Amino acid sequence: MAVEINKEKYRSQVREVVLGATSADGGTRTSTIKVGGEASLPFLQFEGAIPNRPVVAMEVWDIVPEDWPANLKSALGDVISDPAAWAKKCVEEYGADMIALRFKGADPDLGDKSAEDCIAVLKSVLSAVGVPLIVYGCGKADKDNTIMGPLAESAEGENLLLGVAEQDNYKSVASAAMAYKHSIIAQSPIDINIAKQLNILISEMSTPLLDRIVIDPTIAALGYGIEYSYSIMERARFGALSGDRMLAMPMIGNVGNEVWVKKEASVSVSEQPGWGDEAERSMAWEAATAAALLQAGMDILVMRHPRAVELVKKSIDDLMQDNSY
Amino acid sequence: MIMIGERINGMFRDIANAIREKDPGPVQEWARKQEAMGAGYLDLNVGPAVADRVSAMRWLVEVTQEVSKLPLCLDSTDYDAIEAGLEVCKNPAMINSVPAVQEKMDRVFALAAKYDAEVIGLAMSEEGIPKDAESRVALAMELVANCDAHGISIDKLYIDPLALPANVGQAHGPEVFETLRQIKLLSDPPPKTTVGLSNISQGTKNRELLNRNFAVMAMACGLDSAICDACDEELVAAIATGRILLNLDIYCDSYVDVFKSQNQ
Amino acid sequence: MGLTGLEIFKHLPKTNCKKCGFPTCLAFAMALANGKASLEACPDVSDAAKEALSSASAPPIRLVKVGAGDNVVEMGDETEIFRHDKKFNHPTAVAITVNDTDDVAAKLDTINDLNFERVGQQYTVEMVALVNASGDAAKLKAAVEAAAAKTDKNFVLISEDAAAIEGALPAVADRKPLIYAANKDNYEKMTEVAKGSGCALAVKADNLNELAELVDKIVALGYKDLVLDPGSRDTSKVIADMTQIRRQAVRKKFRTFGYPTIAFTNKDDEQEELLQATALLSKFTSVLVMKTVKKELLLPLLSWRSNLFTDPQKPVAVEPGLHAIGDASENSPVYCTTNFSLTYYLVEGEVDATRIPSYIISVDTGGISVLTGYADNKFTAEKIAKAIKDLGVEDKVKHRKIVIPGAVAVLKGKLEDESGWEVLVGPRESSGIQKFAKSQFA
Repeated sequence: MAVEINKEKYRSQVREVVLGATSADGGTRTSTIKVGGEASLPFLQFEGAIPNRPVVAMEVWDIVPEDWPANLKSALGDVISDPAAWAKKCVEEYGADMIALRFKGADPDLGDKSAEDCIAVLKSVLSAVGVPLIVYGCGKADKDNTIMGPLAESAEGENLLLGVAEQDNYKSVASAAMAYKHSIIAQSPIDINIAKQLNILISEMSTPLLDRIVIDPTIAALGYGIEYSYSIMERARFGALSGDRMLAMPMIGNVGNEVWVKKEASVSVSEQPGWGDEAERSMAWEAATAAALLQAGMDILVMRHPRAVELVKKSIDDLMQDNSY
Repeated sequence: MIMIGERINGMFRDIANAIREKDPGPVQEWARKQEAMGAGYLDLNVGPAVADRVSAMRWLVEVTQEVSKLPLCLDSTDYDAIEAGLEVCKNPAMINSVPAVQEKMDRVFALAAKYDAEVIGLAMSEEGIPKDAESRVALAMELVANCDAHGISIDKLYIDPLALPANVGQAHGPEVFETLRQIKLLSDPPPKTTVGLSNISQGTKNRELLNRNFAVMAMACGLDSAICDACDEELVAAIATGRILLNLDIYCDSYVDVFKSQNQ
Repeated sequence: MGLTGLEIFKHLPKTNCKKCGFPTCLAFAMALANGKASLEACPDVSDAAKEALSSASAPPIRLVKVGAGDNVVEMGDETEIFRHDKKFNHPTAVAITVNDTDDVAAKLDTINDLNFERVGQQYTVEMVALVNASGDAAKLKAAVEAAAAKTDKNFVLISEDAAAIEGALPAVADRKPLIYAANKDNYEKMTEVAKGSGCALAVKADNLNELAELVDKIVALGYKDLVLDPGSRDTSKVIADMTQIRRQAVRKKFRTFGYPTIAFTNKDDEQEELLQATALLSKFTSVLVMKTVKKELLLPLLSWRSNLFTDPQKPVAVEPGLHAIGDASENSPVYCTTNFSLTYYLVEGEVDATRIPSYIISVDTGGISVLTGYADNKFTAEKIAKAIKDLGVEDKVKHRKIVIPGAVAVLKGKLEDESGWEVLVGPRESSGIQKFAKSQFA
């Protein structure tokens, strides 16, 4: 008996966003990345094209990440004291598709680095690697508003992915993206309505920016409310396919940032004998968090641990195998 | 609910003149305007403008397609004119309409199967429009059974329960709402539904108010689409709001603008 | 699930004889769909039509059970494609593979120890999959007997040799294991064994078409406690097949696929297996058979399962109590919020980001948010004051200052009266906590 394969007929598809720019387009990247463009739910190649595979960006800090658990720091080695060397190792040794450079050192409590100092770090990383870059501030809006503009200007034409625009603080990042030809992360607090509204607000500043937005729906680690993010992502993706233009953006998730502050990523096996070896457990927590989010349509995973990155990339290889009937 | 923009109709003087003089200007202008308001389809009706409805319909289709990618809803009782239009449609279109009369259903569903078109089926027979919901649903069921017999997926059939003007057919109102509810029990997937919205206010004083109230009440009963004035700002806002309240679209503060901009 | 008018109409005689009291068969079909008539009113409807109509009104996916007594794993009976629409009813059961060539007793000791406690919840693996890897029926029988003596967990008996299953089954028949599997060559015998013992039977084919054929043959033999294996093993293909089976059953009411499913990992590397298992568990697998027994890998998988199968319409609670964030001491700030998990984790993340060691009291509101809890009298001055006392916060810190969410600033006066503590009104949104902490505690 021939089973009639059920294929959803969707009205629309996810927007395709290009990240990075080569010299032909006014940048210095040796390669660019395309994300989005999906015409089906995650990995259902049998009903629609998935033209671009999800990518992994590895996180690099401008300062030594003292608070990271020892097993994460030791997996990365000495390079964590040198952002350029760290980025280079991520790309050349660990196969990172992108580098996510976080200016934690600009935090007023963690060194209060000036815009000029940040620019110097950005330039060193840009020359150390050829892949596209994501640039995050320190996470404190007041300070970030003073560094993101200068950072964007200093890398004009590179088509960085700038983080983050939020509902009550999107104008400076959006203006910087517009003026200096970058893309933008629109971040909403586990709230699909705000995710949509923020895209509208950004598009009101500049319609062409609509094709340069990546949604950060705010994700959680496994065991910490990830199911809320998962369902918001599923709804957003289904909405995008059903014709909702304002949710039809690729999505990014800060996996490492969520996972590595959780108990499961650091508590030792002697403290929690029932939880198994902490080095492998913590790495697995990051990898499995990413694997779950891939099933809801995540396009860019920002991660930290080399082995977790390797596992996720292998898993993406498997998921991208054509499964059409 | 999806809007089927009603404005390209030879009943309107500017369109009638355009058809007679083969001037695409007004037709294309209304196509653009309705599309910019979020219409999902454009209704094309030759009206009483010319005797040769076949070539007029073909012309309307051709000039509309030059400016809009929206699917077209070919509106005529002359099935030769509809077929002429279907022949030149670049995308699958909608046939408006067929009553539950056997020989007409035979012709129209065959056309729909041939051209991969959707069909508006009217809940009326040779005897006219029934008074109660039960008889309307029975006619809808005949349309469903005939659609199915032609191998057409039933979600390509739009049943119009036929709303009458509020000032002459007030008693039909509740029957129409009840019909809309019951139609969803006919099959799985169920047929879709539509109404000629402006009909409800024909000959009344406060047309826009009647139209938009009927629209949201009918949406709550399951109305999927309406042939309507897509350029009525308040109607469009009411429909966008209904879609939010029925959880058809994902809410955001600017949801009315999002609804209008869906064709961009 | 009601039947539609068209479905019913197709089974009626279409004679328009009016004996049912309706003018046409169509009208009668509509009356049936509306529940306003009964099929008995039609004198000419065939038995086959009656059977078809009654089975069409059954739930889209059959409920199938493995195990007996208090130790039953239910699967199937799902109605959704997306968890945000409505809850997935039955979490994926995890089965750990034991080959009959392994040291069964030793492996069972390890499996018995796979119990986890996390955030006040207990996680475990439900099943042991005993595989006839030796190909020797006697060995399978010995392994099943050894395992039965060792564990209360449920079993999947894996062999495509019906005689081996028949030989091994008696030792555990009363525990109603899942029999794996009927295939196109052995299905008659396997069905007889399953029917005789009342055990659920997995059906394995090489693709969806062959699976549909085989299921229909087994159902024709009179057995319906089935679990489907479309035979795919590569992650991407399994996801496609599982999605098809779920959609065919739920959306298309395709009875042949209206059963729970079973999937197997095929990765040799245990870490790669974890990622594969995470994907399969996310996409409609009822029983997931895997190999690793490493706690550090099973804990994240089972945590994900616990998240995915929560009811999206019910708020998820964290444990109420006093949570130390960082190296909290007697001088640390004290915040309070509700025990709605989303609220709590947002607050926890922001408090953690202040880098000031702190305490957070999560007040038991039954897992609802701050404003809902306030409106529902579950987040009140009395409850917060009682939590401060009951949790011994006064012994943990020297100061007497508590931060309450800005959204319930109105509680300040009453809480100060009830507790004797000084109440600081925090920001309305958790995103303001860092700024607030800096101004108050830095």
